[in-house]
Amino acid sequence: MKFTDTELMICLAARSIEDSSTAFVGYGMPQIAAILAQRLYAPDLVQVYEYGAIGPDVATPFRRNMMADARNSRRSFAWTSMNWTLAYAAAGFIDFGVLGAAQLDPFGNVNSTVIGGTYERPKIRFTGSGGGNEVASLCWRTILLAEHEKRRFVPKLDFMTSPGYLDGSPDAREEAGLPRGTGPYRVITSLATYDFEPQSHRMRIIGVREGQTVDSIKDQMLFEPLVASRVETLAPPTADELRVLREEIDPDRVVIGRPE
Amino acid sequence: MEVLESGGGEVRLSDVDEVRQWMREKKTRKLVDKLCDERSAVERYVFDGAYLSYDLSSMVRGPMSLEREIVRQRKKDLWIAAKFTLLDTTLLLGGGCLAKIDVGFAGLGRTLFAAIESGRVKTIDWSNGTLALRHMAGAMGVPYLPTRALLGTDTFKRSGAKVVRDPFTNKKICLVPAVNPDVAIIHVNQADRFGNARIFGPSVAPLETAMASKRVILSTEELLDTEEIRREPGRTTIPYFLVDAVVLAPFGAHPGTCPGLYTYDAANLDEFFTARDDAAMRQYIEKYVYGPKSHAEYLDLVGADRLMKLRDGEKIRQGYYL
Repeated sequence: MKFTDTELMICLAARSIEDSSTAFVGYGMPQIAAILAQRLYAPDLVQVYEYGAIGPDVATPFRRNMMADARNSRRSFAWTSMNWTLAYAAAGFIDFGVLGAAQLDPFGNVNSTVIGGTYERPKIRFTGSGGGNEVASLCWRTILLAEHEKRRFVPKLDFMTSPGYLDGSPDAREEAGLPRGTGPYRVITSLATYDFEPQSHRMRIIGVREGQTVDSIKDQMLFEPLVASRVETLAPPTADELRVLREEIDPDRVVIGRPE
Repeated sequence: MEVLESGGGEVRLSDVDEVRQWMREKKTRKLVDKLCDERSAVERYVFDGAYLSYDLSSMVRGPMSLEREIVRQRKKDLWIAAKFTLLDTTLLLGGGCLAKIDVGFAGLGRTLFAAIESGRVKTIDWSNGTLALRHMAGAMGVPYLPTRALLGTDTFKRSGAKVVRDPFTNKKICLVPAVNPDVAIIHVNQADRFGNARIFGPSVAPLETAMASKRVILSTEELLDTEEIRREPGRTTIPYFLVDAVVLAPFGAHPGTCPGLYTYDAANLDEFFTARDDAAMRQYIEKYVYGPKSHAEYLDLVGADRLMKLRDGEKIRQGYYL
């Protein structure tokens, strides 16, 4: 069955979130991945939103701009507010953070602020951190989602909005004052999945999409990633995943798009 | 305490004792009727150059009727805390009201980004969480609060935060300065005439924002008797003595949703989002902000038909209205 890049990324992300865990979820793709995970793989996943909802049973279909509204917050365990949800993360209660990334470097640092020009007069301005800096700083394991375009994978970011492993040195995060034992866990793109090699903290290819090879992936990046000793071929979205995505979660194809 | 690194961003610093004195002198503890219309509230409390904070955003329970009034009165040079924002910055910018944005999330809309790229509006980058925390510090009467966010990033460098060595543990920690906005605008579900207010549902930092701010304007969907407030005090979010003005504004969050009451106006939001350039944004503002002279006229323009559909379109009341 044909599927979109976004659908694949969402499915890969949904499969990597564990059941009975807590996950801080950003807008758009991360939301849909978390809902899909909850419907198929992780029924007891507790979604946590920066605006204060903890453990909602999010209503579907997904609607554009659905954040902090009644459908997104439905049947939560608790409704709080931002200083509290981020305190939960800072205190060590949040297992996963799921974030989109406009630009990434080899150490999983993320740019969502500016590209090109100067800070004062950027060529392209984005939204800035939102809650991304907190999520990447404070959750135990961060999952980063990015459309696989060459220009997004750069040796050096134009601007480091949210921290990955910083300069990659062994204790870089802890030395900067970030919580010990935290950091990027997976990068999921439309072509490949990566983890981070434990010593060097560099992105490492662990999976490639059907029809791609390690070399074809490398050709589509501006830095050289490491390669795991065993690279798996990523299973395409299953019929079940696509049914839930297309019929229950996003029938208007607001986020998932339509296959060509 | 040893300062290890300082962000270069401009900070609106507060003097905690000056703020305390203000709260003593300017925030009456008398139960006075603060009900007024949006025009007089904004005339009285929003001045050119003010630091403005709002809670939540244009999409969800945002103080949209008050934001429109600020644009209508052509306030200038505002510095705003965009701690969780969507269209608010874009609307205020389109109205020529903005000089600086403390960015948590800058907002949405092509005209906003174009203005930043051309240097017409200045940004100071923080994060949603650190802006919320700065309001918490302002609410607590302390000059700063520590956080383990921002550390190691360019966001830190562009913010006005500092990294210090924590005198207790000797580890690095980030300090963010308190913010005490000149004025806060907050949309609530229910309030009495004195300003005791209830917010239903999750939120960003309404109490922190109200406590930290020198002036607080509430817009409310509904007016309650104080007896009603006293009957269920556990539901009060904001006590009256924080509040300077109460404006009755049913559908005050339109075109956003007020969860539990009415849903988004998708058609109106589309009009907003399709404004790709300044001219189109001016047209939107001409039609929806300058055209109607008040929130009541605005609701006339939107039309009873549409509003009734939006109310019917909100199917969830559970958790908001008992």
